[in-house]
Amino acid sequence: MDALGDRTRRQVFELLRSGPRSVGELAAELPVSRPAVSQHLRVLQSAGLVTHRRNGTRNVYELDGNGVAELRIWVDAFWDEALARFKAAAERKGDQP
Amino acid sequence: MSDALVIETVRKTVTVDCAVEEAFRVFTSDAMSWWPVEAHSIAGDRVAQIVFEEREGGRLYEVSASGETAHWATVIAWEPPGRLVLAWNILERDAIPTEVEVRFLPEGERTRVELEHRGWEAAGEDAEAHRSNYDAGWERVLGFYEQRIG
Repeated sequence: MDALGDRTRRQVFELLRSGPRSVGELAAELPVSRPAVSQHLRVLQSAGLVTHRRNGTRNVYELDGNGVAELRIWVDAFWDEALARFKAAAERKGDQP
Repeated sequence: MSDALVIETVRKTVTVDCAVEEAFRVFTSDAMSWWPVEAHSIAGDRVAQIVFEEREGGRLYEVSASGETAHWATVIAWEPPGRLVLAWNILERDAIPTEVEVRFLPEGERTRVELEHRGWEAAGEDAEAHRSNYDAGWERVLGFYEQRIG
């Protein structure tokens, strides 16, 4: 899972950390279109980071209660990737005369 | 709080085939050679440089091709070549403060690198309590205000 690997998706996640928002509200605060915001929300939802509910006539999105636990899972996978690359780089340098 | 979110520290170990000094140097001043900037930075593939200010209180930040800088972390402990601790703000706008400690341990000719990414408790409490804290705070402030003018 790399639902937060994309910068705009991280920004959507961050905005939702300060409270529930509609697609339109998110799009107004980001340099991307509403369809693009919807696409990012779909990815975040399928990763279990975000849920949505109806609030009157509005459809609002908010962080899933376990959003921080998910964030930790993402960071865990991130360090696996980063340290594998670090190992390759450190050993490459070591090989040089 | 009994129902506080308990989130385990992220722990990673990797053994690299080089001396401790070299491992520390590549990890810090040569971070550009391995950091996955494409997906894990603010400017993405436009990152031109990663700057590691090599001292306690120093900053770790990226510089994009057009010269824009973005803060990643602050150095809490700088103990070359054995140990490094960073205060790391996850995410950008609504930063979550966490701590990353990296230890470089000699194993013969090689180096064992141990990494801990911890401090999720604060983030957990924050996530759980963010809105309710604000709500309660404002209720109290407005309560005082009402008493005052009432």
